[in-house]
Amino acid sequence: MALTKRQRARVFRGVQYGIGLLIVVIFALTANWANLKNAFFNVDVALSMFPRIITVGLYNTVIYTALGFSVGLVLGLVLALMRLSTVRVYRGLAIAYIEFFRGLPALLVLIAVGYGVPLAFPGTIFDKYTALAIGLGIVASAYMAETFRAGIQAVPAGQVEAARSLGLSSGRTTSFVVIPQAFKIILPPLTNELIALTKDSSLALFLGSTIAEQELTQMGRIALNTSKSLTPVVVAGFCYLIITLPLGYLSRYLERRTGGAKISTTPESISVGGPA
Amino acid sequence: MAGPSKLRVLALLPALAIAVAGCGNSETPSGNTGGSSGAAAPNVQLVNAGQLTNCTGLPYKPFEFEDGGKVVGFDIDLMDLVAKKLGVKQEVVDTPFDGIQSGADFNSGKCDLSSAGMTITDKRKENIDFSDPYFDATQALVVKKGSGLDDLAKLKGKKLGVQNTTTGQEYAEKNAAGAELVTFEDLGLLLTAVETGQVDAGINDNGVLYDWVKEKTGFEVSKEFDTGEQYGIGLKKGNADLLKVINDVLKEAKSSGEYDKIYEKWFGKKPE
Repeated sequence: MALTKRQRARVFRGVQYGIGLLIVVIFALTANWANLKNAFFNVDVALSMFPRIITVGLYNTVIYTALGFSVGLVLGLVLALMRLSTVRVYRGLAIAYIEFFRGLPALLVLIAVGYGVPLAFPGTIFDKYTALAIGLGIVASAYMAETFRAGIQAVPAGQVEAARSLGLSSGRTTSFVVIPQAFKIILPPLTNELIALTKDSSLALFLGSTIAEQELTQMGRIALNTSKSLTPVVVAGFCYLIITLPLGYLSRYLERRTGGAKISTTPESISVGGPA
Repeated sequence: MAGPSKLRVLALLPALAIAVAGCGNSETPSGNTGGSSGAAAPNVQLVNAGQLTNCTGLPYKPFEFEDGGKVVGFDIDLMDLVAKKLGVKQEVVDTPFDGIQSGADFNSGKCDLSSAGMTITDKRKENIDFSDPYFDATQALVVKKGSGLDDLAKLKGKKLGVQNTTTGQEYAEKNAAGAELVTFEDLGLLLTAVETGQVDAGINDNGVLYDWVKEKTGFEVSKEFDTGEQYGIGLKKGNADLLKVINDVLKEAKSSGEYDKIYEKWFGKKPE
């Protein structure tokens, strides 16, 4: 064993780089570049998608996501408070809701809202925006409820005790002391959920859409049919990155700002509002 | 032994796996093109040895739909004849329609052919080859009974449901000026939207719509548009061997009466 620790590390590093290079070379040599260029980066096809991909596609994706996120935020907060309530019925309801909707694919929930509800209650027809606000909101709220719960539990118990001993009621303590601090803690994970929801909004294409209601994925797929090139999908993909990359940056920034507060995701027996 | 370097070796494993998988992939195509095609009398190369892989878009009743865990229908029975001729079994793959008509499903080696109630059009011919026509179809309008919507002109300002990438969608885009077109991914969702009233009318091929209103008595086919469309079996561009087998089978079936028998089984009457 003539190699020192340091030399060994260097040899291993060399092997790693070598394998990485080998993979790149294999891909580069086996790929058909002419086909690739035409299939993924056909400039004419890409240009023909502008400006509608931005003014309609990107616009609708943002609107659908914002609608779902807003509903999810409100519903998620209510669910989290129910989940931490001292009332057993509330707790049970919240757990059932969260486990149920967290376990279902978002697509099935959307179809249930968009097609199932009108079938079950004839006459109630949601327009696309309402259906998506409800459908995506239901899915998002199940995830956000757990995030909110973790955030609320991460607020030091001393905060509640101090607020209560200053004479704040249990409700006021929750609204003005606990939730604002919890919100600050969960900003980074909430941003991640917003990114996930942005991508889930692509499921909107299954709800049927007029030309003005198309979002990015659907526009990409429709253009795919007429252009005989995969370029539209690439363009749509880049448009998603326009939304998600800044959000990812924001998430990391907020994490630094909030000191990367660690929050547990396992439920504990702390209940909001202190002893009733 | 030093702990850290052991860990480094472990970290290499995924990279190695990828490298090995990469090598494997680059070799398989050349290995497959050997003589291991279907054991058929006619010299036809099949994407999966021993089976005729049929890409279709479900549901499209009565041409292809699921019944009791099996895909059945008029198209499926016809393709069983082709499979029989080749001495193999038919395997049905459900795939989005855009993959079929763009030729991607054939070019990527996913399927041998597609019987999907697909109209022969010049645009589709640019991407795939078609067999001889095997079915005459026209576009039709399905509406709630008594709605009086029996022409495209009356749909001005109303919502008309179309199925994405179909000839019905094309027809509506050209001829239903003033109607608001709502695009659905498949026939099932389109018809549900008609049933719930999300759209005022739906346009699709007459065969599937007549089949639907048989069960949904509150709805009717209010208008047929004589578009003179014909269905063809789609396959990879330039696959002349398979094309010949399909055309031969269709011809034989029509002359032997087998075609009429299958037609009657799914449409309840003999072809006119």
